[in-house]
Amino acid sequence: MVPNDLKEAISNGVETSTQSINQLTMEEQTSQDDGGVQITCFSEVSNEVTLHFQIIRLQKQIYAWIGCNSAKFGYLYAAAPTRPSNTVSVTSLIGGASDNTGSGVARRLVLKTGLNIILACDIPKNSPMLEADAEKRLVQKLISLGYTKPKM
Amino acid sequence: MDISVPTFPVRHSSLSLDIEGNKTEIIISSYEDHFLIIVTQIGSMGTILHARKDEGVSIHPTFNVSVTFGKRDEPMLVACARQLIEQISASGYSKGLVLSLGLKDHSVGTLKRIVSAVIEKLPVVT
Repeated sequence: MVPNDLKEAISNGVETSTQSINQLTMEEQTSQDDGGVQITCFSEVSNEVTLHFQIIRLQKQIYAWIGCNSAKFGYLYAAAPTRPSNTVSVTSLIGGASDNTGSGVARRLVLKTGLNIILACDIPKNSPMLEADAEKRLVQKLISLGYTKPKM
Repeated sequence: MDISVPTFPVRHSSLSLDIEGNKTEIIISSYEDHFLIIVTQIGSMGTILHARKDEGVSIHPTFNVSVTFGKRDEPMLVACARQLIEQISASGYSKGLVLSLGLKDHSVGTLKRIVSAVIEKLPVVT
């Protein structure tokens, strides 16, 4: 017969390990160069698909990569707010067509964050749920890291 | 119970050095099918180049290097990308290269130092 305080200790221990496991599986690594370049990498699971995110923050620009189950680079886009009215311009740099997933994501990233962004995106075409989810998580992360510009 | 943490699939390495008086950040990332090398002195990616090995069966590989964003009138940037893709190919990788050069000066000396710093650091991410 197991004494009650031992049972309690075991269940506390299990709870602590479970929390640690949860933290480990979504572990985020941020490394900072002395020169002020910050690199953040994290992965999240969305509907059985693993999304990988890499954010490199430079002083005046942010580079982000979104991977989908793999480490493929995907298509590259540049997007930024353009004067005079701060509308967003997007261009595909490598491999893109205007209907690829990345260009919409890049545009909306700039709309929501006000940043100058270079985005590499490997999300497949015709996956609107995945695209929306990845975009949401990326925006959340950019806000939580304090990279976004305050809206006027 | 062995808990194995899945490691992030993209390896990266960064370094900071002084080239001819300009503070230079270099970040190298290794994806499945590309290397991304960011070299910046100006706080942004600057000019972005794309370099690939051509498909072909000849003994001597040929490369396609082009500027996809930024300065198209600086041949030294293209030369830098070409040197790096040749080095990458010679090291046995068939990955493409996305190179960003945000530089304050485009002199031969600067670019040579960049090429040698990158080549030295490349094995760390591969």
